[in-house]
Amino acid sequence: MAERADVVAIHVDHEACTECRMCYVVCREIDLNAVVIGPDPLHRFEIDMGRCLYPGCTTCLMYCPSPGSIVETVSGRSLVPPPPEAWVEARRWARVAS
Amino acid sequence: MPRPNHPLVQEFLDSWVYPVGFSGPGVEFRLRMTARCLPIWNGATARAAKTSAADQQNPSEEWKVERALAGYALEGPQMSIKQMATQLLSVSIPMQEQYIDLQRMRARQVWDELKHGQLNADVLLRGGWIKREDDLMEDVRANAQDNLAYFGLTSMFLHLHPLARAAQNYFVEAIAYLGITAALQAIDDPLIRHQMRSQQLEELMHFMEGKYQIDAYALRAEDQKPIEEAFDFLLKPWATRMSVAFGGREQGASG
Repeated sequence: MAERADVVAIHVDHEACTECRMCYVVCREIDLNAVVIGPDPLHRFEIDMGRCLYPGCTTCLMYCPSPGSIVETVSGRSLVPPPPEAWVEARRWARVAS
Repeated sequence: MPRPNHPLVQEFLDSWVYPVGFSGPGVEFRLRMTARCLPIWNGATARAAKTSAADQQNPSEEWKVERALAGYALEGPQMSIKQMATQLLSVSIPMQEQYIDLQRMRARQVWDELKHGQLNADVLLRGGWIKREDDLMEDVRANAQDNLAYFGLTSMFLHLHPLARAAQNYFVEAIAYLGITAALQAIDDPLIRHQMRSQQLEELMHFMEGKYQIDAYALRAEDQKPIEEAFDFLLKPWATRMSVAFGGREQGASG
């Protein structure tokens, strides 16, 4: 997974997001907890770039069902559905039975 | 040599099925199940496209009514209360620590399915085919669907493994998403498009819940077994019937 210096900022596009919370569930499952419920009155999901490892970690992108709802902040590039380079073997979290 | 996938199915695979965030036995199991689903996904998508193209050419408005009645019967209380709400109970209290997010997904889906039923009622109301939603109580087409009572249509199935429903989320919700996607390519009626577009991404969301649950949780043979048994059931030709209004076969028809 990426070192912090390699991190690229991403954010939730609330115009596209359906607030299904899959990104929140996924990120918590891998113990990153970079998706948080924002403190605004709508309780929308936000990405905490103090914790997020993108592009070293792309797991939330693989389970987001709403096109265009997670984007690279600077480039504006949509990451949903995930571009092919985002789901290479090296970016996957190994899941084995405990 | 395998037959090529329907273009919409291929796009679905590349965008939503194959991208994966985990590696391990859950993912490997899901891809094996995907290969079993593909013939049905392809056939259902092709039939939905054909039916939608025929509907688009049909000068009568009866097809709109049929679609909305079938959608109302399939979604709403049928799916939300009889299936999803009772499926919440398949997670016993000792399992809640492990599957609390699975329960939250199902709680969200209860709400989604209610909305979908309401969307179809809205079509009938706005189209002027009913005056009040109560009118639907008089129409058997709005209240009956012919899918078999697979795992959880009633509260009698509390013994089911919490993950068994992942098969339904994965297999059937994909068909719903693909069917709507095919219909949106053909149908330009604004009322029907509004209903379908409102529903489309939530069908994809429900599919994604199944994908996630299998990838993340179905790691041991004993966890995969109840899911595969549900797939075994759902993949039988008589188990899941697509409504005729959405491109399903008439009773007794072949092909």
